[in-house]
Amino acid sequence: MKLNIKKLLKDKPYLFFLSSTLFVIAIISVLIGVIFYEAYPAFRDNGVLGFVFGTTWGGDDHKFGAWYFIVGTFWMTAVTMCMAIPLGLFTAIYLAEFAHPKVRGILKPAIELLVGIPSVVYGIFGLFILKEPLRIYFNPLISNTLGKIHPFFIEPANSDGRGVFLASVILTVMVVPTIISIAEDAIRSVRKEYREASFAVGATHWETIQKVVIPVALPGIMAGITLATTRALGETMAIVMLLGNVMQPPSSIFDVGYAMTSKILNDMPESFTFPEIAAALFAMAAVLFVIESIFIALARFICRNRSGN
Amino acid sequence: MPEQERKLKMNKRKITQKIFIGLTAFSALFTASLLVLILGVIFIKGASVITPYYVLTPENETPGFNQGIGNAIAGTLILAFSSVIIAIPLSLCVAIYLSEYAKKNWFTTVVRFMIDLLAGTPSIILGVVGFIVFVLTLKFLTAGFSLIAGAFALAVLVMPTVIRTAEESLKRVPGNIKEAAYALGSTKWQVIKKISLPYALPGIVTGIVLGIGRAAEESAVVVFTAGYTQFMPRFGIVHLTGKGLLFDTKIVPFQEQIATLPIAVYHSFEFANMVPRENGFATASVLIVIVMLINLAAKFVSRKYGMRS
Repeated sequence: MKLNIKKLLKDKPYLFFLSSTLFVIAIISVLIGVIFYEAYPAFRDNGVLGFVFGTTWGGDDHKFGAWYFIVGTFWMTAVTMCMAIPLGLFTAIYLAEFAHPKVRGILKPAIELLVGIPSVVYGIFGLFILKEPLRIYFNPLISNTLGKIHPFFIEPANSDGRGVFLASVILTVMVVPTIISIAEDAIRSVRKEYREASFAVGATHWETIQKVVIPVALPGIMAGITLATTRALGETMAIVMLLGNVMQPPSSIFDVGYAMTSKILNDMPESFTFPEIAAALFAMAAVLFVIESIFIALARFICRNRSGN
Repeated sequence: MPEQERKLKMNKRKITQKIFIGLTAFSALFTASLLVLILGVIFIKGASVITPYYVLTPENETPGFNQGIGNAIAGTLILAFSSVIIAIPLSLCVAIYLSEYAKKNWFTTVVRFMIDLLAGTPSIILGVVGFIVFVLTLKFLTAGFSLIAGAFALAVLVMPTVIRTAEESLKRVPGNIKEAAYALGSTKWQVIKKISLPYALPGIVTGIVLGIGRAAEESAVVVFTAGYTQFMPRFGIVHLTGKGLLFDTKIVPFQEQIATLPIAVYHSFEFANMVPRENGFATASVLIVIVMLINLAAKFVSRKYGMRS
């Protein structure tokens, strides 16, 4: 071992590249450090659990709690995923299994171009174009039909169209390309021996997909879904225009809420004069960062379990 | 099983398959047509406003808000290029380390995980940390809200993209030409410099161009670091005492605030009573066209020069 280290230290290019990698690691560590350093006063004054589950923000007793924002982000992400996963998975299956190469050559770039649209543009599209038609035609329809089954679907009386549903619809369009491209790759990489064995025992194409291809591709698909979830959790500019920005747990799919990212964006300028608000906002950023890290670690863990990735 | 029962069951399976093929095709077509719908509406609504005057004139020479986006276009291009130029050296070095020198130990796992963490961090978190680090702490270097602060923050944002693409292309260099070089007596660094890098160059350039596109459409980071201005970027060196700047000089435009297109689009939401909606869509159209041109350039480079071997 000692001989190896001496030899390594003489290898100048290796040292150079290693030190630049260490520098990048240092940058990322500084990023994490700044988040938690700035957040520390808020955690100290409210307690870590007190901050995560607290429901007041500011006010006379200077207590801050991120719970309503966590709930807002959670509902928006959940509804988005409920819409994005079926849409993305079915599209990926079609592109990977059934589409004629020429059709695929047109559809796939079209879907990938969706990623190139900036989030602010999605925001103004949702706000100025999609909100009114949804509010006038679609929301009452759902409210009157599914709303009778469960209050989750009822539209609040004075809704102006903004809310969890509008934000989720736009967010679905934003994350679906991610799911499609990763899931399609996963499905295409299923070895043809598996498919041929299934056909050999008499299964139809769809049955093969259902019972063989999808289960084998599942780790890759799950990784894609997890990555799409991280994108949805961290989205800011489109959500701040569409979710309504009211600090409350949404009472229904059409009600307004407040996402963690939007709160940070909106209140940061205010925090210049009130350091305790800055600390609270950074604490919320810290919570968001931890949630994201869990999902990223999850995606890596799923990919690791899959051999040959 | 009698003949009739067999035929019935087979028909049922065939029909099920046809239904699902239809379903998957529908979702694929639906997703692809979303692109056409969104782009079409935005372009149509904004078209009336786009004139050479609108595109070329900076906002300070026009009455009111968002009547000219020359400043934003110039700012976006300068900012995107600057941030990628800052990011390239470090990212390339890390990519070289990861593809050529790294072994499968815990250190490499940590490095890859941290790069994944950075890639998945919400841009608003990078924005507020960038604010603390570049705008406040490093004020003597950056003069507060400025192009250089935004460029550094955006460089951190695009680093994972450039690292990943560069690493992928370096990994694709075929082993046999490298081995031939080793057989002729080259050192590892010579192989990298003269064989791997030239071969992987198209892929690396693709990654760089993708990074430029990513930086151009980013808004949450820019809001907290680069500010906004209505003026075109001007160039020069100014001697400015009393503001705590390094050497009491100010290099313009780098240490001044800069306008960007995503922020100009956000203005149509933020100042919705002062900016006509068509202007917002026009700004969005220009931004989309620029980003799409950048992405198409990346695809063109990768397709024309990358498909070797």
